[in-house]
Amino acid sequence: MGVLVAVEAVVLVLLTLLVTGLLRSHADILRQLHALGAGLDPEVGIESPVALRPRGDVARANEFGPAHDIAGAGLRDDALIVPVVGVRHRTLLAFLSSGCLTCRAFWEALADERALGLPDDVRVLAVTMDAAEESTPALRELAPPDLPVVMSSDAWRTYDVPGSPYFILVDGASGRVQGEGTGVTWDQVRNLILQAGDDMVDMAREAQVDHELLAAGVAPGDPSLYRRIDEVEGATQP
Amino acid sequence: MNRLAAHGLAVALRTGWEGRILRRATTAEDEETYGVLHLATFPLPEARGDFGAGVTELMRSPDVFVVLFEYGPESLDSPMFAPRGVPRLRADMFSSKRLQRPLPGQLGCQLFFTEGTRPFCLYVVAGSRAYLPRIVAEVNFVLAQLDIVL
Repeated sequence: MGVLVAVEAVVLVLLTLLVTGLLRSHADILRQLHALGAGLDPEVGIESPVALRPRGDVARANEFGPAHDIAGAGLRDDALIVPVVGVRHRTLLAFLSSGCLTCRAFWEALADERALGLPDDVRVLAVTMDAAEESTPALRELAPPDLPVVMSSDAWRTYDVPGSPYFILVDGASGRVQGEGTGVTWDQVRNLILQAGDDMVDMAREAQVDHELLAAGVAPGDPSLYRRIDEVEGATQP
Repeated sequence: MNRLAAHGLAVALRTGWEGRILRRATTAEDEETYGVLHLATFPLPEARGDFGAGVTELMRSPDVFVVLFEYGPESLDSPMFAPRGVPRLRADMFSSKRLQRPLPGQLGCQLFFTEGTRPFCLYVVAGSRAYLPRIVAEVNFVLAQLDIVL
């Protein structure tokens, strides 16, 4: 009897340890998802800025890095190179897989180009891992016929993609990444792209103002930049 | 330079060039298909014909579309494929009458040749005559990078 109680106690302790481990693992996954900007509820977060910003866990946190053209195999016994640098348009690289459930919504959304609601200058390119790490027949089923798909694990490594789904917006003219991140729904991702475009407009406007101020002899630190409104000649108080 | 290779064809491309090498699926049991190379200086649509159907209407004046289409060994005895080696282009080879699908302003050039034991057609569409000298130079640069495995 004593032996039985001892065995039960040991089993109980082991089960407790197992459950604790599972809970910790689950919490880690949730933390990682949160760090990537992905919520768990598709209905929540559309209003919130999810991502398409530099990731906090990478060295280029304060600056987007250079972009690279995408090359690899296609889904139908073909090979392709898709330039994203030195082109007139922007490219949204959609890093997707056949296995991730969240990706399913994106494969479906990408089937209707007109419903995507993207700016005219954005081209979408799906990038999956190589055939050795993917299911090509499943991808053939999932990928819309009009969507270019490149199988390239190299591209995942080059762009330091943390997992799928993940999106990177490349500006072809500058050859640089304009934004990156993830989401759970297409609406989230579209908002991110539109936000990235607004950020570019803001940066361009800021650069133009700096240029005009410098041309007028107003350098950074110039006292005229720090005058109060009532000190400016001719200014009227609101 | 980006390198594209499949089906015994390989080419190095400068940035800004898009490329595909494919082989169409067979539709009959005794049918055999061969490699097709598509190169362009603009985004290629997924739905496109071997000789540019659905593609050339997307071109702007400075653009160029290149097709290298391989034929079967039964074509080897044809006089049409007698020229040996990958050809080089000249501006006077282009004409609006050499287009598979005539479109305003565009010019086409079609050359047949054999490399080793592989017969090919090289078909090039230029977006406009104004850019033709530059287009010819760029395509000749690409052709110099072309590697056909025998």
